[in-house]
Amino acid sequence: MQERLKSAVNLATAASDVAPSRSALGRRTLALFSAVTANRGARVGLLLVLTLVIAAVFAPWIAPYGPSQMGAGMSLTPPSADHWFGTDEFGRDMFSRVVHGARLTIQVGLIAVGISLTVGTLTGLVAGYAGGWTERILMRLVDVVFSFTETLIALAAVAVLGPSLTNAMVAVGIAAIPFYARVAYSVTLVERNRAYFDAAYVAGAGHFRLVFIHLLPNILPPLIVVATLGVSSAVLAAAGLSFLGLGAQPPSPEWGAMLSAARDYFTQAPWIMIYPGLAIMVTVLAFNLLGDGIREALDPRQKARQ
Amino acid sequence: MARFLVHRLFAAVLTIFVTTIAVSMLIHLVPGDPVQIMYAQSQGTTPEELDAVRERLGLDRPLVEQYISYLGRTLRGDLGVTIRGEQPVLELLLARLPNTLILAASALFIASIIGLSFGFVAAYKRGTWLDTTLMTTAILGVSMPHFWLGLILLFYFAVQLGWFPVAGSGFPNLVLPAMTLGLTNAAIIARLTRSSMIDIFDQDFVRTAHAKGLPKAVVLYRHALRAGLVPIVTMMGLQFTYMMGGAIVVENVFGWNGVGRMAIQAIFQRDYPLIQGFILMFAIVVVLVSIMMDVVYVLLDPRIRH
Repeated sequence: MQERLKSAVNLATAASDVAPSRSALGRRTLALFSAVTANRGARVGLLLVLTLVIAAVFAPWIAPYGPSQMGAGMSLTPPSADHWFGTDEFGRDMFSRVVHGARLTIQVGLIAVGISLTVGTLTGLVAGYAGGWTERILMRLVDVVFSFTETLIALAAVAVLGPSLTNAMVAVGIAAIPFYARVAYSVTLVERNRAYFDAAYVAGAGHFRLVFIHLLPNILPPLIVVATLGVSSAVLAAAGLSFLGLGAQPPSPEWGAMLSAARDYFTQAPWIMIYPGLAIMVTVLAFNLLGDGIREALDPRQKARQ
Repeated sequence: MARFLVHRLFAAVLTIFVTTIAVSMLIHLVPGDPVQIMYAQSQGTTPEELDAVRERLGLDRPLVEQYISYLGRTLRGDLGVTIRGEQPVLELLLARLPNTLILAASALFIASIIGLSFGFVAAYKRGTWLDTTLMTTAILGVSMPHFWLGLILLFYFAVQLGWFPVAGSGFPNLVLPAMTLGLTNAAIIARLTRSSMIDIFDQDFVRTAHAKGLPKAVVLYRHALRAGLVPIVTMMGLQFTYMMGGAIVVENVFGWNGVGRMAIQAIFQRDYPLIQGFILMFAIVVVLVSIMMDVVYVLLDPRIRH
């Protein structure tokens, strides 16, 4: 986390010379994309993410069986040509379940990161823009919450909301808010000292215009990196909650919940534990690689270290 | 230096203060009637008994009054009694806390040894196949869910090889959970160590030491490693907090009898006094560790000492 925070702040300062005009933003995005794909790790990450998205979108066509279809094969059969990942104790096809699980994972990533990105960005942006007491109180609060681990905050949130996959997504999203707030805050501090901001202020732009039209687009690039890396920690955390029984409930093909269910039989049938875990790991790896790649592309100092 | 420590102490007290507010109000965030939810699992509780509980928890009094009485009780060391079994929360938690601390500390030990040496070697051999191999291993480790690694180690070392017991709380039982928690975090430490050491290797004083003709080992250990250790040691406090968070999950994989396992059961049983006590205790541990790390930091970094 600290590593990510530091580099996000580096990013804020590194991306400083860029003009904020709209066409430049478009060019920047394009340049960023080619810089990202120039990185070998990021290419692998992008490919894996695409695979995940394809699996999620076309799950019913890719999977030979339904995710909860019992007796698709004999119970607990090892991987074979008919059942690539074997079957579980109810004879459900593990491959079909893992493929359908991709849908839930994408959902988790989008919703959890959406919550932390939106709330965190607003908090950091407002604190950095307003200054004074607003800034002190908001950021002190963020620091306090940040000092607990995300695991604890997520657990507290699930304890309040009650166990379910939706609540787990919300809990994981809430838990990461302080992190996004800190990044948004430090980047806002850098941006509000730039000439374009002063110019807009002198030209008489109101609070709303200054914050949302001028600052927001300019603090986004580092936040995009953080959000990409954030998908990986969100997926990990939500799968962890489901594994503990606090997220998705059986018979949901959520990967963490599948691992949890596998605990009763994995000594006889290790494949029911191997594949869901592998799916989580590959997903997390994909977003980590992609995030690292975007970070390196955005931050020349990081690149020099390679 | 005194000012720095006083400032940090003030921040610590503030953190605990905010936590007590959050913890005491937690129960009011629960959607619906918390008392009914808490007792939903115990059959045959009469409405009169529920009213008695409401009375005991003081849930019908004004919020400020509730908080003041909560703070008073907490300062006297009274964290209330559990819903199930009506046992004193503080005693229950303190009985389990050493197990969690031992697990987290052993994991940190494993993580530091592996992480520091991998990171150091990778930084020293930057750009070689060894660096690539070590860092590829590290990113795989970062992406690996604790609970999955735990199941794999359990399957291989406890079930297949029979080297360790499957569950329990003695020393042989500690090895696998500590490895699980340590290995995934070693990957994080390795990545941080590498980037920190690369920064150091590029600095003038290291080049000067080389130019003076000092033996390589002296430059590496006396100059570079000592300077490079400062940011790494300060990170260890944060790492310990992560271990505590991770322990919650890992304890549940291995049936290790710590506070994390108790907390998850408490969430399942909707035992709010126990959940509240757990969160407060976790916060206090986190704060104590961070104060300890601040002291170490002051001792290590001469720039702060003066």
